[in-house]
Amino acid sequence: MATVLVVDDEFGIVDVLETILTDEGYRVVTACNGKQGLMRLSAEKPNVILLDFMMPILGGAEMLRAMAAEPAYQRIPVIMISSLGEDVIAEKCKGYAAFLHKPFRAAAVLSTVARVLVSGANAAA
Amino acid sequence: MAADPIDAAGQAPLERVPTGIPGLDTVLRGGFLKAGIYIVRGEPGTGKTILGNQFCFNHAAAGHHAIYVTLLAETHDRMMQHMQTMSFFEPARIPDGLYYVNGFRVLEEDGIKGFIDLLRREIRTHDATLLVLDGLIATEESSESDLEFKKFILELQAHIAIEGCTALLLTNGRRNEYHPEHTMVDGLIELHDVLFGTQTERELEVRKFRGTDALRGRHSFRITDGGIVVYPRIEALLARPTADDQWPDERCATGVNQLDAMLGGGIPRSTATLVLGASGSGKTSLGLHFFSQSSAQEPGLFFGFYETPLRLRHKAAGLGIKLDGLIEQGQLEFLWYPPTEDILDALGNRLLEAVRRRRVKRLVIDGLLGFQEIAADRPHRIGRFLTALANELRVLNVTTVYTAETRNLIGGVIEGPTIGLSTIAENLILLRYVEIRSQLRRLISVVKMRDSDFDSSLREFRIMSTGIELAHTFDSAEAILSGFPQLKTEELPADKAARRPRVK
Repeated sequence: MATVLVVDDEFGIVDVLETILTDEGYRVVTACNGKQGLMRLSAEKPNVILLDFMMPILGGAEMLRAMAAEPAYQRIPVIMISSLGEDVIAEKCKGYAAFLHKPFRAAAVLSTVARVLVSGANAAA
Repeated sequence: MAADPIDAAGQAPLERVPTGIPGLDTVLRGGFLKAGIYIVRGEPGTGKTILGNQFCFNHAAAGHHAIYVTLLAETHDRMMQHMQTMSFFEPARIPDGLYYVNGFRVLEEDGIKGFIDLLRREIRTHDATLLVLDGLIATEESSESDLEFKKFILELQAHIAIEGCTALLLTNGRRNEYHPEHTMVDGLIELHDVLFGTQTERELEVRKFRGTDALRGRHSFRITDGGIVVYPRIEALLARPTADDQWPDERCATGVNQLDAMLGGGIPRSTATLVLGASGSGKTSLGLHFFSQSSAQEPGLFFGFYETPLRLRHKAAGLGIKLDGLIEQGQLEFLWYPPTEDILDALGNRLLEAVRRRRVKRLVIDGLLGFQEIAADRPHRIGRFLTALANELRVLNVTTVYTAETRNLIGGVIEGPTIGLSTIAENLILLRYVEIRSQLRRLISVVKMRDSDFDSSLREFRIMSTGIELAHTFDSAEAILSGFPQLKTEELPADKAARRPRVK
């Protein structure tokens, strides 16, 4: 059972993601900003991260940078989620595996998570 | 950001933060005060979120930084979906110029103190000079007491003052009618959705504005494709005209030579003339004559409610009045606003904007009743509105011809508009129908010209393919004045005074 870390400041989004991912059989842990997200990493050892871009305290781009600086976290695939366009995210964020535009459909979330997990496993192999 | 000039007492200037929202900065006399804290209150759907977002985007477009903090509001993606139809929404401003965060989880987990910390940190991190907090009521509901909520406002006030950040707190009210926060903030703006009969109109009111003046009372606003547009109440905005009055002592030709002769050379410049008459009596035709005398030095505007520009051009052509060349040269402009659903102050502002934009000197307002119809639900306003408008047009050196319809087609009593005419128009021209040998004939007379001599005699006139033509004399004036010239002398009313036309 893969673990998904959802990092988003909007509790409605977090709740929805937690529900659909749990229904699909994933173990889900949540955080409401990048700082809290970083704190979850060592304890929860997620297989994939759904990461919002704009958050208080520590944003998504800053959390990605912090992960890049830590070898233990560099291999965890990150799916950026934002209501901004992917061009903005691509300019501000480096090293993410996929992008989901808000608002998203449940099917898109599940297929993206599954795809990223498979390619992450292949890369590790 | 703009600063007020140092006043006569040598007070330090108050730095303003313009909202960039059309009309709102006029109401606020330049914008909010820098580092002030303001509440915007209104029922759901009154436009608070649009106002907050529009202010943020305009602030970012001006090169500043803003943060938009939501609590129990719609999700950011949904909010952006709604905003992106409006022209102020520029995605490129996000995230560098405008940053969205949701603070509810922090408020829920860490309480008021944690939330204050979050706001302080976000203001610093993003170097924000504008904070919009959408959902103040959630902080109130998270507070354990009124005292804690008041402390939240006080602390926020202290932090934004230190950071030089202006804060706008959006709320839809409180659980009860006691509003301790209103006494603490620097200003309070209320948004209303008001029902007039079957028509709703949005209104904005500045209830409190510490340290500076604002246009008091309610002002209409609309949510358009460009966002919120506020229409300051004309009689408040122009309580006094924007310039000193002048008396050019010149005359403006009406386009009808014989009428100019009756007027002593034309209409006095920078005055207003009311042309009063029954439907079809020739008011619009006379207005078109006056309009046709426009030139590069005297640009003209025809502001009408009933006939479209196309129909007016055909009507002018039927009178032998050639307008096409003048229109192509930009010397004439038609504006048409049917009196259906509109906002009185939007009309007034559009009229003044059109006058100022082209430096109009000849203006025809065809159908004074149009303003009355738009203001039908607030009839008490129309007199003050038209007085303010007329005063402003005078100081803009505009010579105005208003047309207004009398209620009765034929008769001895003329029932004009129910508004006070003397404050609007210095001059009054009356057009009437009379029956003569089973035929309707038209009469024209100059009833009033303030501080100026004029020919008060009654003249018959005809509307020809070559325009309006006045007879040089009218032989049966005494009989025709009664409105019953076909009656024999013994059938006329005994009281002669009763036979004179009376203007109500």
